Amino acid sequence: MPSRRVYLDNSATTPVDPRVAAAMSRAVVETFGNASSVHGFGQQARAAVDRARREVGTLIGARQNEIVFTSGGTESNNLAIRGVCEAAAAHGRHIITSAIEHPSVAGVCTELEKRGWEVTRLPVYGNGIVRVEDVAAALRPDTVLITVMLANNEIGTIQPAAEIGSLVRTQRATGHKHLWFHTDAVQAAGRLRLNVEELGCDLLTMSGHKLYAPKGVGALYVRRGVRLHGQNVGGHQERERRAGTENVPGIVAFGEAARLASEEFEQRSQHDRMLRDRFETAVLDRISDVVLNGDREQRLGHLSNISFRFIEGEGLLINLDLEGVAVSTGSACSSGTLEPSPVIRALGVDDELARGSIRFSFGKDNTEAEVDYAVEVLVRAVERLRALSPLTLVGH
Amino acid sequence: MPYSAIFKEHLAHPRNAGELPNANAIADETNPICGDRIRLSLIIKDSRVETARYLAYGCPPTLVCGSVLTELIIGKTVAEARALTRAELLGAIGGLPSRKHHAAALAIETLNAALQPQINAD
Repeated sequence: MPSRRVYLDNSATTPVDPRVAAAMSRAVVETFGNASSVHGFGQQARAAVDRARREVGTLIGARQNEIVFTSGGTESNNLAIRGVCEAAAAHGRHIITSAIEHPSVAGVCTELEKRGWEVTRLPVYGNGIVRVEDVAAALRPDTVLITVMLANNEIGTIQPAAEIGSLVRTQRATGHKHLWFHTDAVQAAGRLRLNVEELGCDLLTMSGHKLYAPKGVGALYVRRGVRLHGQNVGGHQERERRAGTENVPGIVAFGEAARLASEEFEQRSQHDRMLRDRFETAVLDRISDVVLNGDREQRLGHLSNISFRFIEGEGLLINLDLEGVAVSTGSACSSGTLEPSPVIRALGVDDELARGSIRFSFGKDNTEAEVDYAVEVLVRAVERLRALSPLTLVGH
Repeated sequence: MPYSAIFKEHLAHPRNAGELPNANAIADETNPICGDRIRLSLIIKDSRVETARYLAYGCPPTLVCGSVLTELIIGKTVAEARALTRAELLGAIGGLPSRKHHAAALAIETLNAALQPQINAD
């Protein structure tokens, strides 16, 4: 075990906030009733779930009864996409999505494609951002769903969700009544000020463990009036949209995390951005042949995705890990088959850059000293790997 | 399976990294599927591997296989080096997950390619 450990993988998951853990711990012990039970124990659990629902709704400007609790982002995305497509199948079987969605969106779209739906995947160009005019051009009379993420999980680019929402509203007002807009906001919730009215989305996915709650709880915002086929059946929970006894401690934790995210939004945003900028400035100053992936302006403030020429991401990741710095890479080499990050590939960069990309993501618990340590470790690791690389030979 | 202590040690401190300017046996092999690459340069004197250097690009097992390979072959006769197997290399590393065995295969392939002209000449 390295003597010092620095966690710079907050986009993968965040450490649980002690205040959130305390709320959850209390709920485990004190709020054990089944929220569907009519007796006092059950009503105590119901009240706790309703409080959490208000807090999660407040985080995105939604009404309490528009929040469906799930087990996490993947389930929310599955419920949103399958649920809408199955409910609207009589009106059309065309989906519009982007080329850089999280696998829990991309995978569901591919699955529906096998079952007869048609999927249009929009390009993101060199900056990693979908163009609204491409969305408009892809619309067809049989389009029932647009699912475009709010902010990308690898490069942090912020998609024009409000413009897409506006386009969808205009379409609906002019007769395209069965067109819905879903956005995966797993990375954005708690890191961007979100308001579902301003976004104009009909469904929005969130995950607890990306905003300092534990794993195993998420939510789907479902605008009133959206028809959705439940995917979990066999119970009346969550307004018939997600059967199963509520995970009361997890939901309480998510509610507390959402409350804190709203309350501390400004200070967290400033802190994360300061660390990210400090890190990027030092990297650009001290390491040559690096490329920052994705748009430099329209992106989340806590995340930096950098490609290092001449070296491969996984080697760099493990070198950093040996010195206690935790980061992530979207590329994976397995069984002799390299799978470069589909997100980085979608930017149109060459294979070497796609293989050499690393995501550094900062959080509220990181410090300037940690960032400085990570830079020192990174500089050494890049030097070591480049000294090994045949790609640095002249005419490699 | 987790990477061994030997693996981590070689990754943090690669042995015999670089290129020999006066090498008399060189091979540069690439895995065409994943793009991993190992370049091996050797000085062979009196049918013995006097010294070896390597360069590598790719996933960590490829970097480590190159490093361990050089340690295994320095001082060996060409025939002994030629007899080195993928399994022996994997054993010297402390094992690799099966999905990463291609790294050892690439290292052995590069070694054989470097030695082949010597074997043909003998």
